Amino acid sequence: MSQTTEPSNDGAAVTEEAKIMTAEKEKKADEVVEEEEEEEEYVVEKVLNRRVVKGRVEYLLKWKGFSNEDNTWEPEDNLDCPDLIAEYLQKQKSAHEGKRKAAGDTDGDESKSKKKKDDNEKLRGFARGLEPERIIGATDSTGELMFLMKWKHSDEADLVPAKEANVKCPQVVISFYEERLTWHSYPSEDEKKDDKH
Amino acid sequence: MPTKNVVDERIAKFKNKGKDLAKLREKRISACVQLRKAQKNESFLKRRNITLSSFPDEEALSPENKDTVSFRIEDIIKNVNSDDREAQTRGSQAARKLLSKSHDPPIKEIIDAGLLSRFVSFLSMDNEPTLQFEAAWALTNIASGTSWHTQQVVEHGAVTAFINLLASPMLHISEQAVWALGNIAGDGAAYRDVLIECNVIPALLARISPDTPVGYLRNLTWTLSNLCRNKNPCPPLSAVQQMLPSLIQLLHLGDKDILSDACWAISYLSDGSNDRIDVVVRTGIVPRLVELMNNKELCVMTPALRSIGNIVSGSDLHTQMAIDAGVLDVLPKLLRHPKPTMQKEAAWALSNIAAGPCKQIQQLITCSLLPPLVEVLRNGDFKTQKEAVWAVTNFTSGGTVEQVVHLVQSGALEAIINLLLVKDAKVILVILEAVNNMFMAAEKLGETEKLSLLIEELGGLERIEMLQNHSNEMVYQAAHNLIEKYFSDGDLEEV
Repeated sequence: MSQTTEPSNDGAAVTEEAKIMTAEKEKKADEVVEEEEEEEEYVVEKVLNRRVVKGRVEYLLKWKGFSNEDNTWEPEDNLDCPDLIAEYLQKQKSAHEGKRKAAGDTDGDESKSKKKKDDNEKLRGFARGLEPERIIGATDSTGELMFLMKWKHSDEADLVPAKEANVKCPQVVISFYEERLTWHSYPSEDEKKDDKH
Repeated sequence: MPTKNVVDERIAKFKNKGKDLAKLREKRISACVQLRKAQKNESFLKRRNITLSSFPDEEALSPENKDTVSFRIEDIIKNVNSDDREAQTRGSQAARKLLSKSHDPPIKEIIDAGLLSRFVSFLSMDNEPTLQFEAAWALTNIASGTSWHTQQVVEHGAVTAFINLLASPMLHISEQAVWALGNIAGDGAAYRDVLIECNVIPALLARISPDTPVGYLRNLTWTLSNLCRNKNPCPPLSAVQQMLPSLIQLLHLGDKDILSDACWAISYLSDGSNDRIDVVVRTGIVPRLVELMNNKELCVMTPALRSIGNIVSGSDLHTQMAIDAGVLDVLPKLLRHPKPTMQKEAAWALSNIAAGPCKQIQQLITCSLLPPLVEVLRNGDFKTQKEAVWAVTNFTSGGTVEQVVHLVQSGALEAIINLLLVKDAKVILVILEAVNNMFMAAEKLGETEKLSLLIEELGGLERIEMLQNHSNEMVYQAAHNLIEKYFSDGDLEEV
């Protein structure tokens, strides 16, 4: 409980490069290390473990550019990677302190994994994906000019905005208008006779 | 310049001009006749109570022609298998309608009839959008069934065809493909990863634009959430990285269905190891999630709370991000929410925050989380109480002596003593651990006797003594240890 150190950076958990300068680095028999240079800089990639030996705290380190076979235990005092150590300790603490992951039972609140598309889909007009056959009526009671559209292969006609129809099936719209075109003009001989029928 | 012929033709279409009187009369008469016929048919249909959109499964309505549709499987098969485009469309539409019934759609019959290959082949007919659409809808509903049903759809080669359809210029067809792929992804991790391998994600994300209609975005968000869903294994990290930016975008919209599914997606992504949680919190989405915990729609609050609950089950850093985003101001409300599952999830999140360092425990105290915690310990439903008990024990484990004293004074000790009567052995063990931790804190103050007396006064001694006879070995062991250590002073009476 009292071992935690506050991490110096909050936010993202990043692997930091840490430099270690030590002239007193213990050389183990199986280490592959160049002995010519007095001061070597090795970069710690990650802190893997912790132990106490003869009252001294030591950490097991993974070195950058080296394989896991080259991991070494180093005394705490030799190290200058406080963030990596803090990260390790945080992990240990959380694991120990009983964070509990989601149980997986959601009491049926979860979103459906599959959905069937019912016929009650409020698909209207062009969204139904049908081909216009002809317009059988028009209205502007909705505030906007709408056409009653008869679709091919369907007996359900429905309303479509004129704006949409003008673009999507202009010839159908033109047919509709032409079929209903009437000329209002001053009566001539021919049209007088017409009206009597 | 239009030729004279064309002009004449067009003039002939005009209502009155260009027609001779006799023709006009004929026209008027035939129009009247048609109207009378239509009225007669309509009244017949009304009396027979038939509409052309009801499904007499076994009988055809009339000899099939261009305007009536047969719903008999044999006719559907014949039509779909024919080479006539119109027949194929009729058959596919009939199949689609059957498969869209709310009650018992005949999925197996359609599959057994061997129509899936045909439907899949129709998907690629870009010059026949109606056919594409009907086939896509039919396949969507087949894929919405059991795992076996979905398997049939996939094994007939639908995946590639649907992914290609995503790019269709016809929005409703593209949307149908989104839906179908959502069903396939939702089957499980295996098909999810198949879709990801087939590059479904870039194709989906390409359809997101400021002009995309809300309905389309709803379907798309749901499909994305299914691509984030399921564990063993989790979705590939590269896929997650691809999807996250768009999910974040979607989380800033206002539509409740989009928000709900986007939050579910985040909840799936954060349900895992701390590495996975890290990927999520790095997007900076935590404040928005806390905000959504406060949303008025239950369908949004629930997955938002689940996401935050997952995040605070991560590292202390992750938890701190949630605290900094204000989660402690929202939790008290949720602990008092009328819906028990909300209370339970809130208590679970609280228990994980209480499992953090004492600095975070202090924030629990400062933000007044103790009173609602004690309330649910007293009055919550059992599942909620279980989570609340964990909160208490975690608190006693990580808290300083002062903080533990505070906890005892808040009434939590009394409340957990009352819970010692439950049947659940695990809960009892957790409570006894809390009591033990409290004694350890008391030791530091030299006040163990005081605590023993308090527990006795609250009726705890009696219960712990009885627990020494509990059938569960760990329970009676733990109870016995407590009695030995703290209650076997000669001064205390042993009942």
